[in-house]
Amino acid sequence: MEPKKLCLALYTGSVDKLTAAGVILSGAAADDMKVDIYVLLQGARAFRKDIGDNPDKLNMAENAEMKTEFLESLKNLKVKTWVEFFREAKEITDVKIHICGLAGKVWGGEKLDDFIDLADDIVGIGAYITAAQEADVNLFI
Amino acid sequence: MTTEELKDLRATKVVDARGTACPGPLLEAKKAIGTINSGDTMEVLSADEGTKSDLPKWCTKQGHEYLGTVEESGYFRIFLKKK
Repeated sequence: MEPKKLCLALYTGSVDKLTAAGVILSGAAADDMKVDIYVLLQGARAFRKDIGDNPDKLNMAENAEMKTEFLESLKNLKVKTWVEFFREAKEITDVKIHICGLAGKVWGGEKLDDFIDLADDIVGIGAYITAAQEADVNLFI
Repeated sequence: MTTEELKDLRATKVVDARGTACPGPLLEAKKAIGTINSGDTMEVLSADEGTKSDLPKWCTKQGHEYLGTVEESGYFRIFLKKK
């Protein structure tokens, strides 16, 4: 049976939404889905090597004043960091992470090597649209 | 299977995922199922309420046989048989 496809447009660079994306990816991995992630504007900042899951360098999308409590609570519940979620999903199922070329440039990343090792390639928007057309599930986070 | 039968079942693999919240137990189960053979049984321990409905559905989707759940104090034991 052909695996179901998940296409995720990952616009966010905030730690709360990235964590939510990580949880969803875990569910997709458990179901052996084929996943394509397109990292758009703010997302590309988080994928920079010097940022990643460093909580001091990531903001919250909502309830910004509660970042400390939020992160503390995740830690107490032994929830993985967003990078750990993404990495684990890649180990379990076919997950490809594509950095939008424009987004990379906005944050000073020209080459694949400027981003954390989870990134597979740098692509244009056409690649995203094609994947979105072919996917069974489309998400924008 | 009945609760009594499940309590007597000695699973090939026991996965203790009580220390993790969703999606931990589901992923633990996913990873562990790869280590056992077809026809083997697996028991997943979880204290995460969502797992109770997630794992049976996951079994159906993946083709594994869901055998049942035993409620314990503060956690539950989910049994399944690998396809």
